[in-house]
Amino acid sequence: MRVYLDHNAGSPVRPSARRAISRCLDGERGNPASAHRSGQSARRMLERAREQVAELVGARPETIVFTSGGSESNNLAIFGAARASGSRRRIVSSALEHSSILAPLAALEARGFEVVLLAPDRDGRIDAATAAAAIDDSVALVTLGLVNAEVGVIQSVAPIADAARRARALFHLDAAQAVGRIPVNVQSLGCDLLTMSAHKIGGPSGIGALYAAAEARIAPLILGGPQERGMRAGTPNLPGAAGFGVAAEEVARTLHTESSRAASLADALLESLFAAIPGLELNGPRRDRVPHTLNLTFPGVLGESLMMALDLEGVEVSMGSACAAGAVEPSHVLIAMGRGRAAARSSLRISLGWPTTDEEISFAAATIAQVWRRVAAAEPDAERRDAGVAEAPR
Amino acid sequence: MSARVLVAMSGGVDSSVAAAILRERGYDVVGVAMRLAPEPPAGTGRGKATCCSHDDFEDARRVAERMDFPFYVVDLREDFAARVIGNFVGEYLAGRTPNPCVMCNREIKFDRLRSRARALGADFIATGHYARIEQGVDGRPRLMRARDAAKDQSYFLFATGRDELSRTLFPLGAMTKDEVRARARRLGLRNADKPESQEICFVPDNDYAAFVRRSALSRTPAPGRIVNSDGRELGRHPGVHHFTVGQRRGLGIASGEPLYVREIRAARGEVVVGRKSELNARGLVAGQVNLLDPELAGGRETPVEVKIRYRHPGLPATLRMIDGARAEVRFASEGPAVTPGQACVFYRGDEVLGGGFIAQAIAEAAP
Repeated sequence: MRVYLDHNAGSPVRPSARRAISRCLDGERGNPASAHRSGQSARRMLERAREQVAELVGARPETIVFTSGGSESNNLAIFGAARASGSRRRIVSSALEHSSILAPLAALEARGFEVVLLAPDRDGRIDAATAAAAIDDSVALVTLGLVNAEVGVIQSVAPIADAARRARALFHLDAAQAVGRIPVNVQSLGCDLLTMSAHKIGGPSGIGALYAAAEARIAPLILGGPQERGMRAGTPNLPGAAGFGVAAEEVARTLHTESSRAASLADALLESLFAAIPGLELNGPRRDRVPHTLNLTFPGVLGESLMMALDLEGVEVSMGSACAAGAVEPSHVLIAMGRGRAAARSSLRISLGWPTTDEEISFAAATIAQVWRRVAAAEPDAERRDAGVAEAPR
Repeated sequence: MSARVLVAMSGGVDSSVAAAILRERGYDVVGVAMRLAPEPPAGTGRGKATCCSHDDFEDARRVAERMDFPFYVVDLREDFAARVIGNFVGEYLAGRTPNPCVMCNREIKFDRLRSRARALGADFIATGHYARIEQGVDGRPRLMRARDAAKDQSYFLFATGRDELSRTLFPLGAMTKDEVRARARRLGLRNADKPESQEICFVPDNDYAAFVRRSALSRTPAPGRIVNSDGRELGRHPGVHHFTVGQRRGLGIASGEPLYVREIRAARGEVVVGRKSELNARGLVAGQVNLLDPELAGGRETPVEVKIRYRHPGLPATLRMIDGARAEVRFASEGPAVTPGQACVFYRGDEVLGGGFIAQAIAEAAP
């Protein structure tokens, strides 16, 4: 048995989305920008997808810009806002964010922007008052993740949205991990920009979207055509959009039942693991979190070893991020939360998704407990070994 | 269910072929590439010292995919820094010339990787070393030279524990390098014909002294005197970490006859030089001795062949254990310079009896 529990990295494509992609590929002919009838048909397909995606986040279709995915959406939001920022030279974000936010911010910092990275508390929550205090009329952009990919914490962004509005700063939310897990509505969130990713909700990879409110002034990254309201030139990924649209529609319809199903599966898994593994810790808050994401610190083991051993026994989970060569690095999110390097090195993320079943969770619970015992016995206290260059052991 | 084996894969030809062979023999192979070296500082050559680019493990991945076995990259940089690089730097500061490959085998492959193997439920570990392990009639595994004498790497493996050997596989031990290359070509490996590197993997540009200086910082040896056997100053040197016993070049002293480094007195910052004949040793004392043949323990004198460097052809000698960890080795006739810090390995025929690290030379003839 192989159990895939890494849905925050990407979920399998839903059958409905697969059918939509397939229909699109079978019938696709022409470019949505062309005037002839094939072009018009392609355009209808694209606009239908746009409506479906817009509907999921309570936006008007014309505010949805299709991109190649969450990373591009984040880059477009950040660089786009920076290029249109005028005299405002400050950007507020947090240390918890995805690298597709942190890397553009580092690039802007090198170009003279002042980047303020808010520190979270031990549970990964950004303090709204601290955030609001950092936002004044020198701020061009506030960019935050709505739901954190590593620990699943849901940020309370309403006071931050208010502060951004008062300061007339753009407010961007990275909702790649929120959409499909919790209700997301751009009006009630009060954001100007919002990132979505199709493959996190059972759509295909290679497509995402940025919601950009009509009045939000950002500059495009890709020039060369009028597509996507001039916000992203180039012939759009039509099969991707079709799949994204149908996945969005299905998620909007099933959000409530899927979430409560995920919550009860996750509870069962947690209960079983806590009973089997003394000293196990759940990272992040007890409340204000999405149920799909469990970030756990396993006592006395290296997360890297546990992850590999679990993979060999058929349970696929993740740890931090991977370097170019494929080695895993401890999660920067846990380190930002002050969990310490040793704890971060002993932590794994287990994330559930739309296809996860009871049977898979039972198998995973038993396997994780059994493999943890073996790994802990084989490499005792490996995670606490000192770093750095030691003196010669002679 | 077939036995699970963790194969240490570097991305090079040897370990890739080793993994493929084990897979063909029906083992449940798990390939593991190790991140060991730290990122080199900017401005130094890449050499082999960057172990975290996408391409480095490409051949290993290719074999894993082709032969359908799981493959992972593990991060052992901290262990490597503490146990191998720390030792390497410390040895240079003490005026010795270390062999980090021996240390890496002992501390990383047969310790860290061994416990990782247990964590992954693997009974065996395997590497692409050219050496053999034979089961003796008494059940004791014996470490043997490789069939390909030119490639034999048994020297680097002497520090492996006896019980480790019984859970270790060296699939290339009976193959020649040409056979391995042919096998690699059949497997479609890009690196099948790549020349081998003789450099130390973590030292950029092969510049040991610069590496020691960057690592040791304020502990870097100061410049000092070059003296002859009578203590007369012949010149100055930039720090003892630039020197190796037996070294001739780079002394910067004009002399009628060639001078060689005879001794490094790290505590006094002195490099002692002498004529070649002054360097010849009668024997050596080795420390941290690992005996693979338990018969050698106790104070008995045993005839052995001893290798004092990797490429050394070997000398007949007499071995006597001084205590549990130290051995005295007397060469049958006057031998060459011995370099403290290097490994010396004891053989009987093709069998590795054990080995240790050279602590000091013995200059005078046996009483």
